[in-house]
Amino acid sequence: MDERAFARLAEEYAGRLYAVAYRLLGNRADAEDAVQRALLKCFAARASYSAQWAVSTWLYRALTNVCIDELRRRRVRTDGVEPPAEAATRPPAIGERIDLTRALASVPREARALLALHYVDGLDYRELARIRGISVNTVKSQLARGKAILKRVLQAGGHDGSD
Amino acid sequence: MDRTDDVLRELFAVPAPPTLPGRVRAALRRPAPTLETLADRFRFEATERGVSRLVYGRGREVAAGRGRRHVEQARVELGEYLAGRRTFFTVPVDLGGVAAFQDQVLAEARRIPFGAVSSYAALARRIGHPQAARAVGNALGANPVPVLVPCHRVIRGDGTWGHYAFGAALKTRLLALERATPLLVGDTRTRIVCRHGCRNGRRAGEDRRVVFASVADAAGVGYRACQVCRPADDPEPWSSDPTGRPR
Repeated sequence: MDERAFARLAEEYAGRLYAVAYRLLGNRADAEDAVQRALLKCFAARASYSAQWAVSTWLYRALTNVCIDELRRRRVRTDGVEPPAEAATRPPAIGERIDLTRALASVPREARALLALHYVDGLDYRELARIRGISVNTVKSQLARGKAILKRVLQAGGHDGSD
Repeated sequence: MDRTDDVLRELFAVPAPPTLPGRVRAALRRPAPTLETLADRFRFEATERGVSRLVYGRGREVAAGRGRRHVEQARVELGEYLAGRRTFFTVPVDLGGVAAFQDQVLAEARRIPFGAVSSYAALARRIGHPQAARAVGNALGANPVPVLVPCHRVIRGDGTWGHYAFGAALKTRLLALERATPLLVGDTRTRIVCRHGCRNGRRAGEDRRVVFASVADAAGVGYRACQVCRPADDPEPWSSDPTGRPR
């Protein structure tokens, strides 16, 4: 893959990568930083990119690794207390958005990464499994666990979550 | 599909800042830093006795009197090392502040030659505490002078890198650099063999230089060891097998 092709690809995916990173890291600066780092990693390794992987798998894998490393580092730095997620850049359409953002911060890292990938880009279980290097069944159970935590918040907010 | 899906899809639809594509383009145009340019990002602390601390990134240099000389020497040697022009350090290191066990671990780590690797368990065996692999790892992790005391040459028994104070990526680059840098350089006219980076060895012009893998190899074709850098083969060779098991 030549530099030009990679640059086009990077621009095409930057937005989606950012959305995933933002929901994982909770603030704009860290999210932008993570996107750049992930893309630079892929750029440096573009010679070893093999076409048997979908490009999205490759980019998302690099991104989630960078984000999860960052979360891990943060955990050490803040001694277990993750900083509260910044309020969403858009004003909350409904009150539940803030609750959800907060609830998302309490979802375990791996499940949160899967939720983000699933809802930002609509990736299916098989692709999620490839991106994270885990089995399809683990993907399913992690997603279900993450969703259950968020669902509880939705229901507590007076919504039954199934209308 | 229930309502949760819709709500979550909406939650995850975060618009990217409009400046992002431009920044990505700019980042891709900037060349990745080479190891050589990284040399400027290290900060040293030194006492009268030698370099006592090496940190990466922002920080202030702390040294007084003779310590300043040590810092200057360390900076030059580290630059040459990262540029692949040096395989050993002559700048003194002051490990005065460390506890006895860590001192023992660091001293043993310094004996691992350039280009070789050992495992935490093998190092633990060498210092006579075969059960203490984990403690060895902790002692190396708290190494106050990384690179100068080559804790990056210690990897996990299964062959994976393990942790590194400056990040796994730098550990990889340092080990790759050491694999690619010649160990011993001989001068075809004086027939003296030096460790790569010795000031005597540098006097030889490019056309007079030969590379050797060991002092024994060099001696076999009539070269003698330099009196300044004193190259010597390790009588008890360090394995390049990370498990360190006797072969």
